[in-house]
Amino acid sequence: MDKISYSLKHYFTVVAIAVAMMLLNTSCFGDEPDGCEADIETATLHVANPEAYFFQPTDSIQVVLSTDSVITFAVRGDADVRALSPVFTLSPGATVNPASGSTHDFSQGPVFYTVTSQDGKWQRRYRVNVVPTLITVADTLRFDFEHFELEPASQRYYIWHNTRPDGSLGNDWATANTGYRISMSSALPDAYPTTPLLNGYDGAAVCLRTSDTGPFGKMANKRLAAGNMFLGTFDISIAMSDHLHATRFGIPFTSRPGRFTGYYTYEPGPSVQDFYGNPIAGRTDSADVYAVFYRNHDADGNEVVLYGDNVLTSDLIVAVADMGYVTPTTQWTAWDVEFVYKEEVDEQLLANRGYSLAIVFSSSSAGGEFIGAIGSRLCVDKVRLICTREE
Amino acid sequence: MINIKHTIAIIVIAALTAVSGNASVLDSVNVDARLGYVVGGTIPTHMGREIRGINRFDPGLNFMVSLEGSLPLKSNWSIHTGLRYELGSMDVDSRVKNYDIEVVRGDESLAGIFTGNVRIRTTQRRITLPIQAQYDFSPQFKLRGGLFLGWLTNRRFWGWAYDGYLREGTPVGAKIEMGTEPGDRGDFDFDKNMRHMQWGLDVGADWQFTRRWGLFAELTYGFSGLFKSDFHSVQTLRPMYGSLGISYRIK
Repeated sequence: MDKISYSLKHYFTVVAIAVAMMLLNTSCFGDEPDGCEADIETATLHVANPEAYFFQPTDSIQVVLSTDSVITFAVRGDADVRALSPVFTLSPGATVNPASGSTHDFSQGPVFYTVTSQDGKWQRRYRVNVVPTLITVADTLRFDFEHFELEPASQRYYIWHNTRPDGSLGNDWATANTGYRISMSSALPDAYPTTPLLNGYDGAAVCLRTSDTGPFGKMANKRLAAGNMFLGTFDISIAMSDHLHATRFGIPFTSRPGRFTGYYTYEPGPSVQDFYGNPIAGRTDSADVYAVFYRNHDADGNEVVLYGDNVLTSDLIVAVADMGYVTPTTQWTAWDVEFVYKEEVDEQLLANRGYSLAIVFSSSSAGGEFIGAIGSRLCVDKVRLICTREE
Repeated sequence: MINIKHTIAIIVIAALTAVSGNASVLDSVNVDARLGYVVGGTIPTHMGREIRGINRFDPGLNFMVSLEGSLPLKSNWSIHTGLRYELGSMDVDSRVKNYDIEVVRGDESLAGIFTGNVRIRTTQRRITLPIQAQYDFSPQFKLRGGLFLGWLTNRRFWGWAYDGYLREGTPVGAKIEMGTEPGDRGDFDFDKNMRHMQWGLDVGADWQFTRRWGLFAELTYGFSGLFKSDFHSVQTLRPMYGSLGISYRIK
């Protein structure tokens, strides 16, 4: 009996030691790791007399997308920008140099800020501009799609720059190429939905092609991506979780648009597929070519952009120029559409950047619901927005 | 790995040679049929700081059957071997921060640093050959220790990152939010990256409470990772099975 109890004890001890050795380093959680992100999440400009600085009260705060490293405050043309103190909210635990709230002279150009993650291992550099903006009433805005480049950080897809009236390049055009990269990491730049066409109607044009989103797309029931291009921003952060709100249509616009013209070709893809990827017999794909002019604040004074689910239906829409049915053609074909106004334009509001304009091109008009024909191709060039003065 | 396979093969051959060379030794071989409940499948080699907590852990309801025998060598020592068929599964839902992850589908992948929740599910079916030294403390109590060689006949490893966000590539890459529903979240499927062959430590204990019936406990811990060595999409995981069951002496 003694021998047995000794053996038992011995046995349990050995087993216990063996099990403990194996489980030892799995049994407890270490300290929470330090943050490794280094974002400016929001930037706010506090001034004593906001009315003298900002066109709209909401202009004093900028929500910064994770993909942005340039922050621009557009302030009134006569605003004094020699001593301003932007305040930032950062990724948890991150620090910024120069400090948030420190005072700088923005009249000499942008001020650069470097954000360092809590763990000290990662940094991001931001360029902050405070730009006195003269409200000019343009006669005609020209979009020729001549200025494109590979996105600098990844070099995987194209981005476009618009030409500002002063000749400098802006970032008003957005595409869903950023989002395509999530699903098709192996794709080369020319396989993305939105690509340049070197020999367009006049110089380079832009081509939008409805594209297969590959195995990820299939898994996610997002089997295609319509080629798109629009004035606004693409918010990659919600491209997976809330894709219709990832397309943020519209940029502040201070002229009264009258006509929307340009040149296009459109070739629908061979077979329209439904949400589940099954062919829809007898249906031909259709494209979108339209421009929307809208009030960019709601009744409560909140800043508004239009999204994929309300860009043609929002109550804030003032005027629409919609080409309607985009007749398939392989020849460069002109369009010229008049803006149809639902309400009068408030000149005061116009001068205070209270209106926004969205121009939207898409190679499959039902692309938002992932319905369309893979291969549908819409090319556009020499787009003009002809503005009128209110008589 | 190769060396260990060789070593095991040599031990088996040596044991078989010893057995076949001596009929009286063969007479003293004990053979058991075993049926057990299995917990486990896989565990991480270390619980990194990136894992902040376990929301849910389900070890699954799995079993093993085996035919095992021991061959007395001298005094209280025997060599123990056999063939086991084991089912393992696991379903773990954990909270993570700054977790290195790669979501893969077909030829496409999305890699980065994820903060949020990760659900990992795995099922494995394994044929195992244990080679153990057995020490008889008494005719009733036996303790075993040695190695096992396992072959997965069926292997699945899948899951999803959800309710959080991925920083693409690096912590300063694009921030991509992931939801909870299929399509909004980041699914992964690493079946094909799992090793077929496993080997590792195998310890066990037996209590023979009647002439025929006994109870046993077994724990195997893989020295080889669950995944092939060129696979880095998830942290190193090791196969680990614990089982408890009954044995019936056939001979």
